[in-house]
Formats: sequence, structure tokens, C-alpha cells
Amino acid sequence: MDKRINPDFNASKHASSNSLDSDSKSSSLNSKHGAETIIPRETPFIYLNGEKEQDQKNDVTHICPYREPAVGTLTITNYRLYFRSHPTNDRDPPVIVDVPLGVISRVEKIGGSTSRGENSYGIEIFCKDMRNLRFAHKQQNHSRRTVFEKLQTYAFPLSFNGKLFAFSYAEQFPEDGWTVYEPVAELRRMGVNNDTWRITKINEQYLVCDSYPAVWAVPKAASDDFLKKVCTFRSRNRLPVLSWIHPKSQATITRCSQPLVGVSGKRSPDDELYLNYIMEANAQSDKLSIMDARPSANAIANKAKGGGYESDDAYKNVELNFLDIHNIHVMRESLRKLKEVCYPTIDDQKWLTAVEGSLWLKHIKCILAGAVRIVDKIETMSTSVVVHCSDGWDRTAQLTALSMLLLDPYYRTLRGFEVLIEKEWLSFGHKFQQRIGHGDNRHSDADRSPVFLQFIDCVWQVGQQFPNALEFNEHFLITILDHLYSSRFGTFLCNTEAERVKEDLKHKTVSLWSYINSSYELYRNSLYGANSSGVQTVLKPLASMRNIKLWKGLYCRWNPSMRPQDSIYQRTREMLALQEQLQRQVNDCRMKANSRCTQSTGRLASPLH
Amino acid sequence: MMSFTPAKTKTTFTSYVDGPKAVNGCESGSAEDVKAKLLEGEIEVARAYAQLFAPATKMTDDGGVPGVLVVTNYKLSFIPNESKEMYPAYQENMFVGRNDVTLSNIDHIYQITEKKKKRITSQQKISSKIEAIHIICKNFRFLKFSFKGTSKEQGRIIASSLLQFAFHTRHDLSFAYRYKDSYYRTMKSTVTMFNNKSDWSRELIRCGATEWKVVSTDQTVQKSKLLPAHFVIPKCVAIDEYLKKAESFYDSRIAFWVYSYDNASLVRMAELQPDQENMIENTTLESIRKCDPRKKSLEIINLGERLPSIHDVQRGYIKFRELCTPDTPRHFLLQDAKFYSLLEKSCWLLYVSLCLKCAKEAAESLRDGTTVVLRENNARDMCCVISSLVQIILDPYFRTIDGFQSLVQKEWVALEHPFAFRLGHVIIPEVENESPLLLLFLDCVWQLLQQYPEEFEFSQTYLTTIWDSAFIPIFDTFQFNSERERIQAATCKESKLVLRPIWDWNEQFSETDKLFFTNPFYTKKQDGCRRSVALPANAILLPGFPKKPMRFTMNPNELNQSSIPKDQYLNPRCGVADLEIWQQCYYRWIPILEIKNGGFPQIELFQRLLLRNISKLQRAIETGDYDELPDELTTPTNSPVKQQMMPATNSFFPFSTNVCDATQLTDILTHSNELLMEGSIMDRLSIAQLPD
Repeated sequence: MDKRINPDFNASKHASSNSLDSDSKSSSLNSKHGAETIIPRETPFIYLNGEKEQDQKNDVTHICPYREPAVGTLTITNYRLYFRSHPTNDRDPPVIVDVPLGVISRVEKIGGSTSRGENSYGIEIFCKDMRNLRFAHKQQNHSRRTVFEKLQTYAFPLSFNGKLFAFSYAEQFPEDGWTVYEPVAELRRMGVNNDTWRITKINEQYLVCDSYPAVWAVPKAASDDFLKKVCTFRSRNRLPVLSWIHPKSQATITRCSQPLVGVSGKRSPDDELYLNYIMEANAQSDKLSIMDARPSANAIANKAKGGGYESDDAYKNVELNFLDIHNIHVMRESLRKLKEVCYPTIDDQKWLTAVEGSLWLKHIKCILAGAVRIVDKIETMSTSVVVHCSDGWDRTAQLTALSMLLLDPYYRTLRGFEVLIEKEWLSFGHKFQQRIGHGDNRHSDADRSPVFLQFIDCVWQVGQQFPNALEFNEHFLITILDHLYSSRFGTFLCNTEAERVKEDLKHKTVSLWSYINSSYELYRNSLYGANSSGVQTVLKPLASMRNIKLWKGLYCRWNPSMRPQDSIYQRTREMLALQEQLQRQVNDCRMKANSRCTQSTGRLASPLH
Repeated sequence: MMSFTPAKTKTTFTSYVDGPKAVNGCESGSAEDVKAKLLEGEIEVARAYAQLFAPATKMTDDGGVPGVLVVTNYKLSFIPNESKEMYPAYQENMFVGRNDVTLSNIDHIYQITEKKKKRITSQQKISSKIEAIHIICKNFRFLKFSFKGTSKEQGRIIASSLLQFAFHTRHDLSFAYRYKDSYYRTMKSTVTMFNNKSDWSRELIRCGATEWKVVSTDQTVQKSKLLPAHFVIPKCVAIDEYLKKAESFYDSRIAFWVYSYDNASLVRMAELQPDQENMIENTTLESIRKCDPRKKSLEIINLGERLPSIHDVQRGYIKFRELCTPDTPRHFLLQDAKFYSLLEKSCWLLYVSLCLKCAKEAAESLRDGTTVVLRENNARDMCCVISSLVQIILDPYFRTIDGFQSLVQKEWVALEHPFAFRLGHVIIPEVENESPLLLLFLDCVWQLLQQYPEEFEFSQTYLTTIWDSAFIPIFDTFQFNSERERIQAATCKESKLVLRPIWDWNEQFSETDKLFFTNPFYTKKQDGCRRSVALPANAILLPGFPKKPMRFTMNPNELNQSSIPKDQYLNPRCGVADLEIWQQCYYRWIPILEIKNGGFPQIELFQRLLLRNISKLQRAIETGDYDELPDELTTPTNSPVKQQMMPATNSFFPFSTNVCDATQLTDILTHSNELLMEGSIMDRLSIAQLPD
């Protein structure tokens, strides 16, 4: 009953486990009472605007670790792989697998012409979203070859002289997501320009620093010419610029890359003076805190490669902290282990040690703890903080973005969070192309790493600890991650703002935010805003393992037995709807009462005239 | 209800204590001026200046709260020098103050001397140079007292009086026997106590179990002193013969009926004593099988093979509790670094998982129409856990507060879980009797509550409070090993113990505190049949409506049968990976683990706020009086939640100090409860049928 009446609630319920809407049949198996019947919801396969069929094969078997093999039709388009099982009886809904090709990291043939045994000949697909897919072909059908080729061509267009689907996708949305983030407007929101900070367009042509945005905010005391000198002492010219400024204390978060100290311990008076300007721009404190995201051993090792960290001798009034967050390679390995733990099946007896052994939660804890330290410096000590790692585009982005989310309620709104991603991740040059490897078949490329995923995981942890602090829900976060890989939208393409401008993504592709903001209600946290006003502007999550959980709704979502229920959120949505309906009713009644009043007084009044 | 008598002088010291005489700690000047609130029959035995420290803190000079520590024959009470304002947004127990723990709650005591920490027991000598003591309680509370700056003897005096009064080798040394305040029962009689024949008969009727009969030992020739007062056996057997057979089983626990689900029944049975013929068991089981009209073969679940022993559970509990009672910040961090593997090593979640799996399997068998026999050594330990869980999984009645309390009465109290041994109320030296099976059960129920928040009438606060109440000797429910002992204590001329069931929550808590026991997500279902309501196509889905249209066809032949709905069973996920840590119960004493303005109370209170609003709006619509409505409810916006006020609460609420507007909180609690308690949520919500 509820399913028919409330398609929205229902859709979001399914969607919370998978925003791509594949496999929605099995999620309805997640029945509450054993006695509940399953009402299948048809998921018609509607082509996206710009999507074209490339291949279709009947008689392909989907081999799933969670259910019996299913025979059906496999369709491949320039956007997706779609499998639908042939109906076997009236009772069971068909098995549907609907995966954007962008999610695929590797395609392999299994079995050869000599293979014996059922389902031993086919294709195995390894995905970036913690699952593998397996399809068996009949040798005599000769269907495997074209499927394999089409998959290669459309999953890895950049390796085969093709273009990503985002450039073919031509959907129109009521809202243009490309306008969500306006750098100058966002700086103005924070009160810049002000007495101590100014906006500079020195990098408008991306000539000073090719991985930085066009617009920066810098200390007023530093002239453009001076900035050009300072940037030479920072790895890839990524000098400290403003991420966030405290509206009252004027304490700031600035971000940069490591100083080019090297083995010889080089110094730069310009860089030293510049950091002093940053410190002085905050009248509340006579100190500056540098948060080096790396473990100290890594920071020291970087000296050999010409990098390093700010020494006590060179930088006065500066305190340096190492936050012990590991590099992209460690994180990639950790996620690989986590996938082994979560997919396809879990070993319940050793679950806890296996999760711990992947170290994934330890890394999450480290990032959260680092962000909390930054928040503490800013909020409690009113000290400005400079954040960097090696290049300042991975761990630095995690830390600045997360601490900004904790400090500023604006970034906890749905739109504010989009701005945060646009600003701290996209405009400051987190190398999404390299880290995700859009359309690229080099699956073992050492540049790939789940850095952004970790950030989203941290945000989820914050949402777990503060259930009404974020305007967006879990489904929003999962949708972002799904389209991080899908190549449907232009948002996460390219490595830097400069590249995006060159590719003219704003005109040639659709923004993910157009899609999301056009169905705003789907991504809203029904508990948001229930906080007492003004109490909680700053969030301080607990970075203790006792409070950090594995995000089963994401990492274990392909396992039907692991799907968490969200009946509490469902219930809250229902109660909110009821409250609203009653409020409307009360208002109607009042208006009627009022008009009756005025009518009767009118009638009474008229004879007097 | 409660009367606090002022501290009596030492002349009232009685001689009921064996061993060394009163410890005198009251001569050190002005500490004596501090008055401890004492109950009737409560006697102060020692006091000292001390500083109180929180868990996971260093005991440095400036971190502690200075005050006076008072030991009585009932509790350990800490009275801070500067009493802070009491915040009403905190669960306040009338028998245990915020800084008190009952002696019955105390489990381990450690003495700290010059950097050495050592557990002390009654058999050991206590150092005369105690600098501090650590007290670990059965409910996971961890208290650290430093005696620095006071005279040397103070620590020893406190420690030795605690050792002397906190651990009893005889039940009648418990404070329960000293507390003589009369009791006026205020609780409703909706809780079935199962302490008389008719309670059991009614349960047979409710379950539609026609092939069984109640036996009361007081009316028959009593064969064994170990038999419970009332129990249910197959109708087809001769009582005398059955009871004679009973002697062959441990604790005389031959097969007893506890529950029926259609034709299938749930039965508890002990193992045969050694050297007894298997024949006896076989004939017993055969008589059980005959109670099923279809004579289906039985499923026998040997709990001993499937589940941890009581000793395993105790070891797991101690290891797990260590994880939840870190001493210093360093200790906290060391545990944190390996938290998940340490958690796994404690096996606590594994044991919860095993119990849930076993219960789920038994429930499935019952649903299939197979009678299930739970077999365990004495049928008084794991049998209680599994049997109760099975019934909670199958029967929505046991998910209500009344039902749950009746279930505990039936499975734990009437069928005699040895509480006094398992909870350590009575300690027999050299015998390992302790095992927190009650907590294991409550944890399992909490897991079900997590997975099915809308199916339970009670909240996690209710479950946590039950565990706390097990250590207040004033309430008899969890104090005795058997009904015989209980009745003896109550009737014996010397003791005349006053029986006060913990279910009479008015004794312990104010009305506001009791409101926290209800679960705002519960959707009350009407008994038996549910109306199918035709909803307009555009109607808003209302909570409380059946998930699917019900076709309720009643066969007249079945009217005398079970009134238990068969479509409301739970299907829980039971793997370790599906379980969570019951943070409220286990973490609430560690202040650094409290999330400020976060955690589950936010979700719960918001739901209550919505319930209150809906209640107020409906009342306004019914009466046509809109003036009473708060402003934020009369101006609907597109995002209605935006400006709603909710009191600021932290994650351990209501077990932590919360600075918030208490009147606002009470308003939300009482009005939301109106909607929850009236039992008419369905009627009130049928507003959906009104024309739009």
C-alpha cells in the first residue's frame, strides 16, 4: 500500500542503497515482517538523452554471489550495461543489473575455448564501487567477443580515442548546477575583501599556478608581485591562499603545498614574511599553526625530493603539527583490503578484526581527528591555521573541507556542501581525473586513490554523530559517489580548473548539481534543522574508534542481507508530512473562520448604511 | 512515597554484621558536618574526604571534584563540597543519587598505592597507604577516588568497609532485609506476575494451548523442593507420575510449557542427571509430542552445544567491561587503537549474535508448526534468554511494556533464574556463580529494538534502567534465586522482607522520568484485527496504518484458539556484522565519549516534538480553538522544520548532565506521550480520511 501511494518515499528508500537504481528488485526483498508481500516496482530502462544502444545479446547468464544464476538479455549502450533476466515465473521479479560503464575499472575474459562446465566461459567486470560482475556466455553463441569489445570501447573511451559519455549527455534540468559556485560571491559571503584580506585575480590565466583557481583571497599586505615571488618556494607554486575565515575572530584556514626546503634546508625570506602576513591578518593571536597532514617521517623523507616542512629556525611564532595521515598509496591499499572484507561475502566470525585489519577506519579516524584539531585551533584558540601535505591537493583538501564543514553551518546545507566540493576539491585542483581514472583502462595506475571517498566517509561519520546537523541525507552522499565514477556529468572530470575551462565543461557537459538540485527533496535529511537555534554552530565529532563505524550502507550495499533499514527516517518523513497537512488544515479553518467573521460583520454593518 | 531520614548517630549500629566491628572514619573534623541522605534502616559505616575523578582521566591534583565519601550498609555516596545546581534533564532515581552507587552494584575494587594498582578482595590485606581506590560497577560505572591530602588511614577505612559490606556470603545480609519502609503498590495490574495458577491458565488460553494444564506445588504432594511454584505440563500425563520423573532431571526441571504458537509449543527442559535412564527423557518428550494434535516430531535445541556457558558469558562480560572502563587517557588511546579486535576478543557481540540466531531459528520452527524443546543443564539460565527472545520475536504483546514485564516475570522470575548467584548478590567463595545473563538478554532485545524501532513500546532508556535496577536491593524482582527463597524472606517472622517489584516504576522515578521509557517510534497496533481503511489516492501515508491491506477472515471454529497475531513476527539480522554496541548502556559513564548536541536522543526528541505538534494541531482542529497553538505551528512553510525548537541534549541523555530548558522538555514529553499512550494513535491519525 505504502509503495503505491508514496512513490517518492519508496524511491528514496531504494535509492539510499543505490542511487543508480540498479538492482532495485532485490532491495524490495528487504522485508520488515516475514509476512510482507513483495510488490515489484517496474524499473523501465529509459534511455538517457544522448544514450545509444551499442550491443544487445540474449542468452547471457548473470552470476551473482547472492542468488542463483539468471539467464537474460544484456544490453550495452554508450553509457551503461543493462541486464534483465528472462521471466521464469510470475512470483519472482526479474533480476536487473544497471551499471554505468564509468564505474568499471577492469574487464576480463574468463575461460577459453577449452573451458568445460556450466557458466565457466564469460566476462568478469571489476567495478570502482566495491563490486564485481560476472556474466557467462555460451561459446556457441559467439556473443562474448562483441560484448567484450564494446565494453572496452565505451568503458574506457579515453584509451580508445573516444569521448566520455558526459559530452554526449544532453539532458535539460530546471536548474543549472554550474552556477552553484561563484568564487567571488563565496568570498564575499565570508566578508572578503575586508581589512586584512583581499581578492586577487593574478591567476586569471592560470599562469602563476596551473593547478589553482583563477580567483584567490590573500593577505592584503601581500602585493601581486610579492605573491609571484612567494609561490616559487612552494611545490608546484601552490602558495598559501585563503580557504575560510572565521566571521568573528578573523582566524583563518589557508592551504598550500610543502615548502621547497630540500636536503640543504633552503629558506625563503619571502615565504617566511608571507606566513607572517597570514598570522598578522588575525589580530586575535600572535601565533600561527601549521598542520602538516603527513606523518613526520614522510615529511622528513620528502626533503630528499626537494620538499620538506617549515623549520622552527626559519619560521618564527609558528607551531608545526604533523597529523599522521598517510599517502594516496596507503589509502588505495586500505580500500582494496576493505573490499576483500566486504565483498562478496563477509566472514562474520572474523568481521571485527578484518575491518580493523583493513585500517580503513583508522585512516578515517586520523582525518577526522586532524580536522577536529584544526577546528579547535580556530574556534578555541582563535589561531589561524595553515594546512598542507606534499602537493596540497589530497590530504589538504580532506582537512580543509572537513574542518570548514565542522566550523561553518553553511557547508552543512545541501547547496553549501556543493559549494564546498566545488571550492576545496575542484577549484583547488584535486586531481579527479587521475585519482578516479575516468574512461582510462590503466586500472593499476599508481595515481588512483580513494581520497575523495574518504572525505565523503568522514562527512557520513559526522552525520552519524550529529543526526540533525546536515541538511542532506545518506542518499545524497551515495549519489555523489556514484556519479563520481559514472561519467554522466561533467562535475568530476579533469584534474584542475584550468583544464575544465579549456575543455569548456560548463557548456559541453551537465553538472551533477543540476541533477541533484532538481530533485532536492530526495536528498534532504528529514531530521535537519531540529537543533535548538544557535546552540551548535561548531560541530566537534568524537574521533574515537568507539564512535567510528563502518559505512555498511555504502561498502556492503551490494549484499542484500546487509542492507540497513531506515525506518526511523521514513517515520520522521511521514510525521513531517502529517504535521504539514494538519498545519494547512488549521490555516484553512482559521481563514474560513475569519472570512465568516468578516462576512457576518459586513452583513450586520450594511443595514446601517 | 520516599522518606529520607536524617543521618542517625552511630548508636544505631546493629550487630547483624559478622566479623570485625564498625569501621570508624568519622573523626576527622568537618567531614562529619556533611549530611548523607539515608533511607530507613540505612546506617553510615565510614566516611572520608576524597576527590572524585572521571574514567579516562589522570588523577592529577586539579582534575578531581573534592567532597566527602560516605559508605553505608546500602550505598557508597559521594557528596561534593560545592553542590552544583541540579539539572532536571537527567534521570533521577529516588533511591540512588547521581553520585551514589549501591553496594550491590560494586563489582571490583582496586587499591592504588605508590603507582601500584591491585584488585582487593575480602581475603586480602589492605594496604594502609592507599592513595586512591578504583571502583568498577556491574552497570559499567567506573569511580575513581583519590585520598591525597587526607590522613593516611582514610583510604584503608573506606576500602575495608566496602569489602565488608558490598560482598555478601549470605542473602539475608543484603540491605533488602534492613529496609522496612512500607510499600503501597501503585502499579497497574496489567503486568502478569505468574505467581499464581490463574496467571498461567490465562496465558494458556491466550496462546490457545488446550493440551496443557497448570500444576501448583502447594496443592499437590510436593515431590521436590526444587520445583517452581506453578508450572505447565501436558494434559495427558498423570501429575504424580510426571513429578516422580522430574526427580531424574537437574533441579527437577522436567519439560515445562512456556508458550504456544498455533499447534506448536515452546518447552523448557533440563538434562537428565547422571545415571538416569534415557527412557525417562524419551517418554517425557513423547508426552510433549502428543500435545500437538498433528503429532509432529519435536525439535530439540541443546543450548549447551549452541551457546556459551555461563562462565564464557562472565569472562566475555569482564573483558568487554574493561573496554568500557578505561582508566587513564593513555589507557583509553591504547584500547582505541585496537578497539575492534579487542571487542572481538571479548566475544560479547558474538554471544549476542549466537543468542539471537538460536532464538530466530527456534521462532522459525514454531512458525513452521514444530514444537521446540530448549534443553539446558538446569533449564534456568540460557533457557530464560532464548525462551524470552523467541517470544519477543513472535509475539507483539511482548514488545509492549506490560508484555515485556510479564515475559520477564514468566521466564526469569517464575521459572527461577538464579538471580542472587548470577548477579553476585550472594557470593560463595571458590564457586563461580556470577554471569550477567540478564544483561546479555537485554542487549539482544536492544539489538532487536535497533532493527525494529517501530515495533517496541519501550525505549533503550527503559532497558538500561532495568539493568541498573537489578542492583537496587530494595526491589525484590532480581534479588532471589527462587520463588521459595522469596516467599520465605517475605513471610519469615525475623526478616519480613517487603516485596517491591521493580515494575512499580513510580517507586523509583518521577512522572517525567518515566516518560523516557516509551519509544516515540512505536506504532501501536490494535489487538487482533486491524481495520482496513480505504485511503484516497492522494492520501499521505500515515504511521500506524497496516503495511498492507489486511484480509481478516475469522473462522468461527478458531475463535477459541490463540489470540496471538501471526503476521507480526520479526525477522532480525543476527550476524556480528549486523550488531551495534549499546552505547547508552555501556559508554554513558565515560564523559569524553559523549557527543555534545548529538547522538540518538536528537532523533528521539525530534520525533517526540513532531508527536507533540501533531497532538496540539489535532486538538485545535477538534476544538476549533487555535489560540493555544505555538506560533511556529500556525505559519506553515515549505520547509516546516526550519525553526522548530528542540532542547539541547547530549548523546547519553537522560543519563548525563544536560543544560537545557526543562519546561520545554517536559512539554514535549508529556504531549508526545498523550498521543503514544492513549492507544488511539490509529483513530487520531485517521484524519487522512477527512476531505482534503
